[in-house]
Amino acid sequence: MSDLLQKIIKKSPWIYRINAGSCNGCDVEMATTALIPRYDVERLGIRYCGSPKHADIVLISGPVTAVVRDKVLRVYDEIPNPKVVVAVGICPISGGVFRDSYAVENQLDAYIPVDVNVPGCPPRPQAIIDGIAMAIEIWKTRF
Amino acid sequence: MDIVRLAINILIFPGGLFAISLGLFLTGVDRKLYARLQRRVGPPIYQPCIDMIKLSQKEIIIPRTANYTFFRFAPILGFAGMLAAIAIIPVTGIYSGLYKSGDLLVLLYLLSLPALSLMIGASASGSPYSSIGLSREMTMMMAYEIPLLIVLLTVGMRVGMASGKTAVFSLSSIVDFQLKSGALLFDLPMLPAILAFMCCIPGTVGVVPFDIAEAETEIAEGPLLEYSGAGLAMFKLTGGLKMLVLSALAIALFFPSGIGDFWLINLLWFIAKCMVLSFFTTTLVRATRARMRMDQAFKFYLLFPTALALVSLILTLLRV
Repeated sequence: MSDLLQKIIKKSPWIYRINAGSCNGCDVEMATTALIPRYDVERLGIRYCGSPKHADIVLISGPVTAVVRDKVLRVYDEIPNPKVVVAVGICPISGGVFRDSYAVENQLDAYIPVDVNVPGCPPRPQAIIDGIAMAIEIWKTRF
Repeated sequence: MDIVRLAINILIFPGGLFAISLGLFLTGVDRKLYARLQRRVGPPIYQPCIDMIKLSQKEIIIPRTANYTFFRFAPILGFAGMLAAIAIIPVTGIYSGLYKSGDLLVLLYLLSLPALSLMIGASASGSPYSSIGLSREMTMMMAYEIPLLIVLLTVGMRVGMASGKTAVFSLSSIVDFQLKSGALLFDLPMLPAILAFMCCIPGTVGVVPFDIAEAETEIAEGPLLEYSGAGLAMFKLTGGLKMLVLSALAIALFFPSGIGDFWLINLLWFIAKCMVLSFFTTTLVRATRARMRMDQAFKFYLLFPTALALVSLILTLLRV
């Protein structure tokens, strides 16, 4: 696809959140990055959408517990291509504090391809925005 | 020749190309001002265009439970209805409308097409969230159509009685009447009707206090849930066009006065009027109000706008 189209398209990434058994800490940070005026990510064209069918960038938090795994995979399949996955927090990367739990079988990239990892427990809002910015660069090359 | 003219009116000006760009522009200005009201920087004004380009490049997913034909063609219905609607409405000094009589009634039916296409799309997509959205959309439509109908009737009666007939349902005669004897905006008995019409605009467009059908936080965007790519882009575009059609209709009904004879100045004046109207009826409302419940919205529409419109109708009838 042409450079011009990539340049245009990278200004409109829509974000969808999946909570894969997270303790809600990362979800609070994610809501903070987009929803408060201080970080105003809408100026980059980013907006949260309520449906996975509208999304471009998926933010996944939580250690992917055994119960929620199939649902995460199903929602991931419902996101139209091209898409990018951002793992937010230490849990989807390595399991974090839930690492040896009986409910956690494997980390996120054992199930779906992860493009950007944002470590932290929870990561700072700036780190999440940085992760999204990296995700946008990866996402635009997939058109 | 007539068919060529009709095609130009629907596809290039004032429908089609012109309407789409103006609709996207109004949406962009709305998003920018909304952000500024929250003291944010906000997206650039051309953001909706970027969103449309992006959505057109995305994959289209059709659920296994969906009815393919209706699911694919539902977005086109509302979009086409809005393009036809904008071609009907006269713009002072630039465009005199398509028909000479009865176009107000045609317009009323065309205005319900976007909601109808949303309902068809929702029922064809086979998702429980969509069907909740469908029932909410239907309830909303029943609520705001009643005051809207009474307002249109009031304007028709007002103009008709002044020119010695019973009621006039022709937009071009309504506009001509106002150009001759002053805009209805400055007519005291019409003020309640104008307020009622302005109350109907956010409900028809479906912005925050009345976006109950698409409530993204409770029912995941309802009827739009299963749409992706081009279909979604078309629904979003229809939203912008709906805003434009309602503004243009309000301008034609209540304040069609132009400035001078030069078409460019009249065009800019028309766009300015659209922007002011959409700021007060959409942006300001959605920046300051929270989403209502279905029963609250229903009650609101059947109480205030309906009462205001009825007051106007009675005042108009009494003046004879």
